[in-house]
Amino acid sequence: MNRPRTLAALVLGGLVLLPAAVQDSFFLNAMVHVFLFGAAAQAWNLVGGYAGQISFGHAAFFGIGAYTTAWLLSRHGLSPWFGIWVGAAVAAAVSLAVGYPTFRLRRHFFALATLALAEIARISFLNWEAVGAAIGLYLPLEYRNRLAYLMWDSKPPYYWTALGVLALATGVVWGVDRHRAGRYLRAVEQDEDAAEMLGIPTRRWKLFAMGLSAALTAVAGAVYALYVLYIDPYNVMASRISLLVVVVALIGGRGTVWGPVLGAPFVVLLNEYTRAWLGGRGTGADFILFGLAVVLVSLYQPRGLIGLLASPSPRPLPAVVGAGRDPQDVPPAGAGGPPVLQVRGMEKAFGGVRAVRGVGLEVRRGEVLGLVGPNGAGKSTLFDCLTGFVRPDAGQAAVDGIHVVGLPPHRVAWAGLARTFQNVRVFPDLSVWDNLLCGTEHRGEGLWEATLREVPPALQEEAGRLLRSFNLWDHRHRPAGELSYGQQKLLSLAMAVLRRPRVVLLDEPAAGVNPVLVDEIGRLVRALNASGLTFVVIEHNMEFVMRICHRVAFMAEGRVVTVGRPDEVRRDPRVLELYYGR
Amino acid sequence: MTELVWQAAVSGVVLGLVYALVALGLSLIWGVMDVVNLAHAEYLMLAMYATYWLWALGRVDPALAVPVVVPVFFGLGWLTYQALVRRIVRAPLAAQIFATFGLLFVLRYGAFAAFGPNVYGVWRPGEGTVPVLGVPVAASKVTAGLVSLAAFGLLAAFLRYTKTGKALQAAAQNREVALALGIPVDRMYALSWGLGIATAALAGVFLIPFYQVSPTIGDAFLLLAFASVVLGGFGRVDGALVGGLCIGLLENLLGTLVSPTFKFLFVFAAFVAMLLVRPQGLLGDVGR
Repeated sequence: MNRPRTLAALVLGGLVLLPAAVQDSFFLNAMVHVFLFGAAAQAWNLVGGYAGQISFGHAAFFGIGAYTTAWLLSRHGLSPWFGIWVGAAVAAAVSLAVGYPTFRLRRHFFALATLALAEIARISFLNWEAVGAAIGLYLPLEYRNRLAYLMWDSKPPYYWTALGVLALATGVVWGVDRHRAGRYLRAVEQDEDAAEMLGIPTRRWKLFAMGLSAALTAVAGAVYALYVLYIDPYNVMASRISLLVVVVALIGGRGTVWGPVLGAPFVVLLNEYTRAWLGGRGTGADFILFGLAVVLVSLYQPRGLIGLLASPSPRPLPAVVGAGRDPQDVPPAGAGGPPVLQVRGMEKAFGGVRAVRGVGLEVRRGEVLGLVGPNGAGKSTLFDCLTGFVRPDAGQAAVDGIHVVGLPPHRVAWAGLARTFQNVRVFPDLSVWDNLLCGTEHRGEGLWEATLREVPPALQEEAGRLLRSFNLWDHRHRPAGELSYGQQKLLSLAMAVLRRPRVVLLDEPAAGVNPVLVDEIGRLVRALNASGLTFVVIEHNMEFVMRICHRVAFMAEGRVVTVGRPDEVRRDPRVLELYYGR
Repeated sequence: MTELVWQAAVSGVVLGLVYALVALGLSLIWGVMDVVNLAHAEYLMLAMYATYWLWALGRVDPALAVPVVVPVFFGLGWLTYQALVRRIVRAPLAAQIFATFGLLFVLRYGAFAAFGPNVYGVWRPGEGTVPVLGVPVAASKVTAGLVSLAAFGLLAAFLRYTKTGKALQAAAQNREVALALGIPVDRMYALSWGLGIATAALAGVFLIPFYQVSPTIGDAFLLLAFASVVLGGFGRVDGALVGGLCIGLLENLLGTLVSPTFKFLFVFAAFVAMLLVRPQGLLGDVGR
């Protein structure tokens, strides 16, 4: 565990001392570029790597940082120590303005909106007289060699400042990666709907990653302006900056802490030296190369250089004290608690098809309610209406008096409704353990809290116990995508119940699973029910339904036909006719 | 003033038809295989270069370049699919986005290396104007607008009335079902790339008489085409047409009335507003 950290400390120490040994001005200049573009790439990594929202417009944030700092200094004499943070705040605000409308939509929109943003920003600055238009801004030289203004006439101080910016960006990403935030952002990248249903406010997390990313990029841009002493839209807002940032992160390995750090010297030094050899701005050969590299990485090595160097090392987990509670076989007892979920007059039509027609349903606390009926009866649509994935045309639903219709899925989850999906939805690239911890309670969880802290030990122990009782403990380090289909179903059940929601909706938990595991799932549902959880289960396997349910509601053609004890419903002549066609 | 606005509106419509033609291919590929080709406008740029060099070196009139340029770019589109896009059809979304983004830079800087940063245009002295609704418009622009309308008509007829067109629609709607029915989905995808790139090239051929080419013109056209597709509603051919017309009108009217410098800013603002209010576009009816 300590070896990577020691290595990182050694490399950092070596880099800090390097200017004492090497005074070659061209090399130091190249290294300043490595650090600054590495920092911008690291910032991009937050939103483009972890959250999977690909931005092609980071040049705009880089430029905003550079311009704000340069403008405040040259026109108002304000110190960059102040200007840098103003630039970061402006860049973050602009990024949120772009992210807010586009994060609702598929990721193409965000990618293209950022591309548009960079283009708009460049054109605007090119024509904006107040910031020098096409002439740009010169930084006043009289402030040089004063720490208060972060400007010098030799290279080493810039070298150290730039290194500091890279360390800052890497530190932020490291913090995100280590704590809950990294897990949530990855979950958002892999399956947004599933993340929402666990109560993770996905859009807020995307905006958080975006704002933080833009702010850090602006810091790098500001230091760049202080270094080159002259900025115009061509050197701080060009689309090649957006490209460079993406290439560094992509080649190094996006979605990892060290990828961009590794990619930066590789890409930026190549860029700087080819430019020197070919003279001036070159023929664009380096950008053809970068374009090719991006294509090749996307085809063959999505994890970049990091993927070539290291296989993922599982993180050590805290030792869990005490064996898991073995769920006992509890026969379904008559549960007649007060209603916990009340559904009234639910209606949903898709075009001319009335999938759900005036459904009313009452789920009592502590019961397992089966929801059965032929395919197309509207069962899953009812779940979709309840959990916010589909907006019903009419109707009400309340969980312990809290109305949930019209709320986005994560708010429904906060109200105490959990759900599994018919086609199992786990986060395939996250470990089983990380998947499970996505199922903790997210209501009232602050963004910074989740960025700076891990799940408390007591909760981790509880999660460990749950995992043991689900027989998944030994698999906890494996990516969930490697589990069998049945095990993934078990995992998604564990994720749904970890936070002990008021009602758990299960959509065909036994479908496509081998008979042994069907028994196991039935046993788990009964045990969880005995511990106080309420379930609504959609299922076609009648034997399974008979075994675990206290009551059964029968749906057909969008209506609830009858509700009653399982044996009553099974014998009901209407059910026989509608279900079995007898 | 009114006359100025009317002039702007008419030339906006003509311009909008050209944008629509650029957007057509983007929309087709997007609709058929759910891949947004970020390099789309780079093919437009290359077709403009091809037409320019045919004119500069061989004195071939742009209109006569169509039988050469368009089939070549159909082949290029087909090739792009076979060599690159085929491998990422079912890859994660990020891989798809990066693949065409990388392609964009290869093509753009390839053109930069080959032709340099200079701006080129076809200059034909003594070109006449045609009165359109009382406004004189350059003949080359009118031609481009008519070609665009013809291309839309032909493509719509192809999709609606031919067996291949119907197969293409089937492949777009449900890959698995289409495969099960024996439709060669892979070839349909390749065909959509061929057609999509060919229409971009067609736009390029008719743009060059009144629009100069340089390696970086792709940026603006990609964004305009994308905005057109989103504005009109994607997954349908007429969406690109309606969207393109709106963008052309918006750009010209606001460019004339307010300031030509910031005309793209208006287009972008309209685009963002559209995403907020009606993300399915003007003609779209399904959620996302």
